[in-house]
Amino acid sequence: MLLQTDNLTVGYDGRAVIQDICLNVNKGEIVTLIGANGSGKSTILKTIAGYLEKICGSIFFMEKELAYFSRKEKAERFSVMLTEKIRTELMSCREVVETGRYPYTDYFGRLSQTDRQAVDEAIQLVDIESFADKDFSQISDGQRQRVLLAKAICQQPDILILDEPTSYLDIHHKIRFLEVIRKLATEKQMAVLISMHELDFAEKISDYTVAVKDGKVVHYGRPCDIFTDENIRILFDIPKELYDKYF
Amino acid sequence: MAKYRYGILFTLLLLTMVAVLIGNIFIGSADISIKEILFGKAYEETVYNILFRIRLPRVLGACILGGALALSGYLLQTFFHNPIAGPFILGISSGAKLIVAIVMIFSASLYFRISSAFMIVSAFLGSMVTLVLVLIISRKVRNTALLVVVGVMIGYICSAVTDFIVTFADDSDIVNLRNWSMGSFSGMTMENVGVMAVVVFLCLVMTFLLAKPISVYQLGENYALNLGVNVKALKVWLIVLSGMFSACVTAFAGPVSFVGIAVPHIIKAIFKTAKPLILIPACFMGGSIFCMVCDMIARTVFSPTELSISTVTAIFGSPVVIWVMLRKKKGQF
Repeated sequence: MLLQTDNLTVGYDGRAVIQDICLNVNKGEIVTLIGANGSGKSTILKTIAGYLEKICGSIFFMEKELAYFSRKEKAERFSVMLTEKIRTELMSCREVVETGRYPYTDYFGRLSQTDRQAVDEAIQLVDIESFADKDFSQISDGQRQRVLLAKAICQQPDILILDEPTSYLDIHHKIRFLEVIRKLATEKQMAVLISMHELDFAEKISDYTVAVKDGKVVHYGRPCDIFTDENIRILFDIPKELYDKYF
Repeated sequence: MAKYRYGILFTLLLLTMVAVLIGNIFIGSADISIKEILFGKAYEETVYNILFRIRLPRVLGACILGGALALSGYLLQTFFHNPIAGPFILGISSGAKLIVAIVMIFSASLYFRISSAFMIVSAFLGSMVTLVLVLIISRKVRNTALLVVVGVMIGYICSAVTDFIVTFADDSDIVNLRNWSMGSFSGMTMENVGVMAVVVFLCLVMTFLLAKPISVYQLGENYALNLGVNVKALKVWLIVLSGMFSACVTAFAGPVSFVGIAVPHIIKAIFKTAKPLILIPACFMGGSIFCMVCDMIARTVFSPTELSISTVTAIFGSPVVIWVMLRKKKGQF
């Protein structure tokens, strides 16, 4: 078991948003979080990533409480991609990817041969060579997401945590992005914890799915059991006639 | 390729720095030509005094403090993720000025002279108090433009109180105070230069040690957090160091405007990079050159009347701020 939460309660400023979360993520597995806007998917991801203090319960990483890992150890094992935009100034895409090597570089952040190799490999994997030397602030949203994914990959984590990474991408880029994720899970045995709104894609890509509503996990299991018309209709509060009309 | 570019640019900066430094020693209201100096006139007492007791400490002061100001601005811009932050515009210089003025007047009334180190400490306290105040308010208003407005207002309040104190404390002991509170590199002594060199050098070393975390902190706090940066500690260091740099300047030269904001942008535009390891030394050198040139203008253009240093730095610095704002609007940030 790579990552495990045990009766985890998450929220802001001591106020619980979601209670009693029990979920597991194994090596090579993709676990998706689905739920309406504001249901607390991001809060769960931010807490596991260590950006937010948990309220109660435990998070175990490799059978050990997460709190016992140092900053550096966590940085080498967790790679996080949030929805907030990053600010860059005069930085090429390659330089952004290089920041992923931060936990491994020396005191002044100089890249070694191994670091450069990891960067090149990540750039190839997400196929961004053609614009790797362009300024990061001058490429499209879809390209940016791929650059950030390359950064996350060259951090060489055990687990990738992605918060709605595909939301602003067109369908072509969505598919390519998810293809890379699948490849990472299958070939590199990376664990992936991802939240998304695209239910059709979530169903196809995930090994396990977690559905969140009204402050709790309402469904947790294999996608084939969760993505039923009835479940989705209730999860997103869609009246039956509307659901039938649009799906 | 980029390495050669940086090498050339650094060499150019260094050469300019040396040229401006030497130029500053030989140009001034008392006309002393290089010829005269070479033919032994430098050993005459008045000439010697002008060159080595007045001009040399003054230009060294401008050199060191100019660098300190630019770095203070660079660190504040990094901290606030705000391109128009700087020690003067955020009111930090004025806060330091207020405390230093109070300490000076108080010590004058008790008939003891305060040391350079003590001046720095009081300026640092003033900087920190204003910075904390700006921080508390900025937490309530998460908006870059408002942050600057808050800083400017705090600066005005501190300046007003300082003026008030200075006016009513018109004592012969604090005759320099009025001059100093406007900002000026005049009256610098070698002892001052020694103290500021040590303090600024130590802060500079500390800043270099932060180069790596700054390189990812500038992309965002959460981004840095994920890469293992101790963000809270880094933020404290950024504040303390920028406060120290600007305290040093205020203690010796009073508040100097626009160097802190303008120089980092000029340097970034020249070097075309965001790497702190390049920007830190380059900003220091750029600030030095900027201040030395401005000081030369301040003391020669209407000589023997001197302009206050901020008058000159504002003329060259404020257009840079406007340029930054225009670029920002175009979405280049």
